[in-house]
Amino acid sequence: MEAYLGIDVGSVTTKLAVLDKNDKLVTHIYLLTQGKPIEMVQQGLKQIKQQLPKDVNLRSVATTGSARYLAGVIVGADLVKNEITSHAVAALQYNPEAQTIIEIGGQDSKIIIVRDGIVTDFGMNTVCAAGTGSFLDHQALRLNMTIEEFAKRALDSDTPVRIAGRCTVFAESDMIHKQQMGHRTEDILYGLCQALVRNYLNNVGLGKEIKPPIVFQGGVAFNQAIVKALQEELNTEIIVPLHHEVMGAIGAALLAHERIADNNNGSKFKGFGVSEVKYHTSSFICKACPNQCEIAQISLNGQVLARWGGRCDIWERDPSSQKL
Amino acid sequence: MRIGMPHMGNLYIPFKALFQRLGVDFVIPPVNNQHTLSLGVKYSPEGLCIPFKLTLGNLIEAAELGADTLLVPGGSGICRLGYYVTIQEQILRDLGYNGEIISVGFSQHKLSGLLKTIKHLSNNAPWPKIISAFRFGLAKLNAMDRIERIVQKVRPVEEVKGTANQLFTKAINAIDKANDYAPLKKVQVDYINQLNQVTKDDIQPLIVGVVGEFYVLLEPFSNLDVESELGKLGVEVRRTTFISEWTKFTLFLNPLGVNEKKRIHKAALPYLKRDIGGDGWESVGEKVLHAKEYDGLIHLAPFTCMPEIVAQNIMPSTKEDIPVLTILCDEQIAKPGLSTRLEAFVDLLERKRRAHNN
Repeated sequence: MEAYLGIDVGSVTTKLAVLDKNDKLVTHIYLLTQGKPIEMVQQGLKQIKQQLPKDVNLRSVATTGSARYLAGVIVGADLVKNEITSHAVAALQYNPEAQTIIEIGGQDSKIIIVRDGIVTDFGMNTVCAAGTGSFLDHQALRLNMTIEEFAKRALDSDTPVRIAGRCTVFAESDMIHKQQMGHRTEDILYGLCQALVRNYLNNVGLGKEIKPPIVFQGGVAFNQAIVKALQEELNTEIIVPLHHEVMGAIGAALLAHERIADNNNGSKFKGFGVSEVKYHTSSFICKACPNQCEIAQISLNGQVLARWGGRCDIWERDPSSQKL
Repeated sequence: MRIGMPHMGNLYIPFKALFQRLGVDFVIPPVNNQHTLSLGVKYSPEGLCIPFKLTLGNLIEAAELGADTLLVPGGSGICRLGYYVTIQEQILRDLGYNGEIISVGFSQHKLSGLLKTIKHLSNNAPWPKIISAFRFGLAKLNAMDRIERIVQKVRPVEEVKGTANQLFTKAINAIDKANDYAPLKKVQVDYINQLNQVTKDDIQPLIVGVVGEFYVLLEPFSNLDVESELGKLGVEVRRTTFISEWTKFTLFLNPLGVNEKKRIHKAALPYLKRDIGGDGWESVGEKVLHAKEYDGLIHLAPFTCMPEIVAQNIMPSTKEDIPVLTILCDEQIAKPGLSTRLEAFVDLLERKRRAHNN
């Protein structure tokens, strides 16, 4: 079977998706990154292999997400793509009419503006994670409940409490204040959802023309209370795709397929065997100039595979030939 | 007397040539780096812009190297730059600096003021000597900018990425070493030839204009060398702002009534009717003026820069419509975040062009 693999390694979760030659989703995997991107990519490969038929022929592989370069080196990716493009491509595959794509992930959130099927503008949160999944995670932790329970109970709110959502820390003080005043937990929970939505629209969505159809994807789209808050705030229907949480990986797989059409040189994919290999990571401070860049490197059996993290590219040019 | 001044790109090279010819002791602080930035951030009010913080860092480092006369950019009516001298002097005095601080108000004094400052610094050297040294400095400035324009064209199409940048670094060093017009000319011809001979891919690069605030446009450290990053992504960068051009117009042609910015201001008129300080008017004007010729625009602005914030908010409303990516430069800017946005922006332009061609 001919297939295409997309791997999306984000700050909080790692996603893998396999598409067949008609771009139909064959299978997908959703794991928590837990700060171990290499292990999770390996584990993901192992798990997905078990779900694929024996005769699978991965013709092209692409990685995306904040650890896309690292993941690309581990699996031997044919294409390394940023998450904004990957999400846009996937959203348009399922909803070609979409004009706005909202994506809220673990630590970043994006808005992508599309007109006539072409991305015309995008925005991404810059300095603060107050409009992202981590904000909700943090508040759920504070209230001593799981994020799933958070979402469910928030939907039972009838008079939501207004909570200042500009900053995670201040939102917490505000939330405690509202608790002390005796507001219902459900109302506080939904108030937090509304705060996230306001924060997202005021920061990431600032100055963007948000037109329907609106597609909402990313892990936070699991949260029905957020979907409801978005719907209320934007006063229009919000489309949540069936596989919203793996759309980045699906987009990467679509791009991997697209690459074959442009350039069919065979794949650099290192095979499922890489899930057994022991990679070694380390870092050092570059002393070539006073910038003191932190250079990270990944090596296999003593041989450096890749380096990155510098302001300039002296360590990236040819990692295997340079000595420390 | 030992003179020190802040960095902006390679501007120290023409000044070094000028002061060398006049026999004035000129100390060059380390080129902008993380330590400079940390110094600047430590002693600056937090809300000030990155040009202020970096130049303050340079001044502190120059003073540490024994400079007893600091040249500080100033002037009035531009933007917060007008207050730089006053605040930076205060900070330097608080840190215990006792030397002289001279405000160089380029926009105000124009040529005569600058020459008078140089005369003072050179311990009253004769005018012909000053003029000759000044001309030689200008010749170096022009040579650097001529080579940089070619580097901008080679970066996106070079077969081996990084070749143009390596040649550019070598060229800058050679220009710095050239001690007269003839060797300078030779360096210029030499490196232009070498750049022209770089093996190039046969591709039609996307064209992206880089506009925005003067300092962050011209100091690669402050914008994480966005031009090289774009080059790596196969994008040809166009920039109107070059120090040599600025010098030519501000010092020589503007006083004669030739204003190169009239065209840009006129283009901005339907959306912004007046100068708003800094380079905000020009940023809007450049978008309108080049919308047809460029595929996209990178708008560079120091964080908290009011003129550029105004420009940023006007830009989406112009009917001359090209994608704009605004990048706010401050000490918080980080490469992974910038790369993700640049890659996505270039993808956007690429896909737009492909759809347009089909």
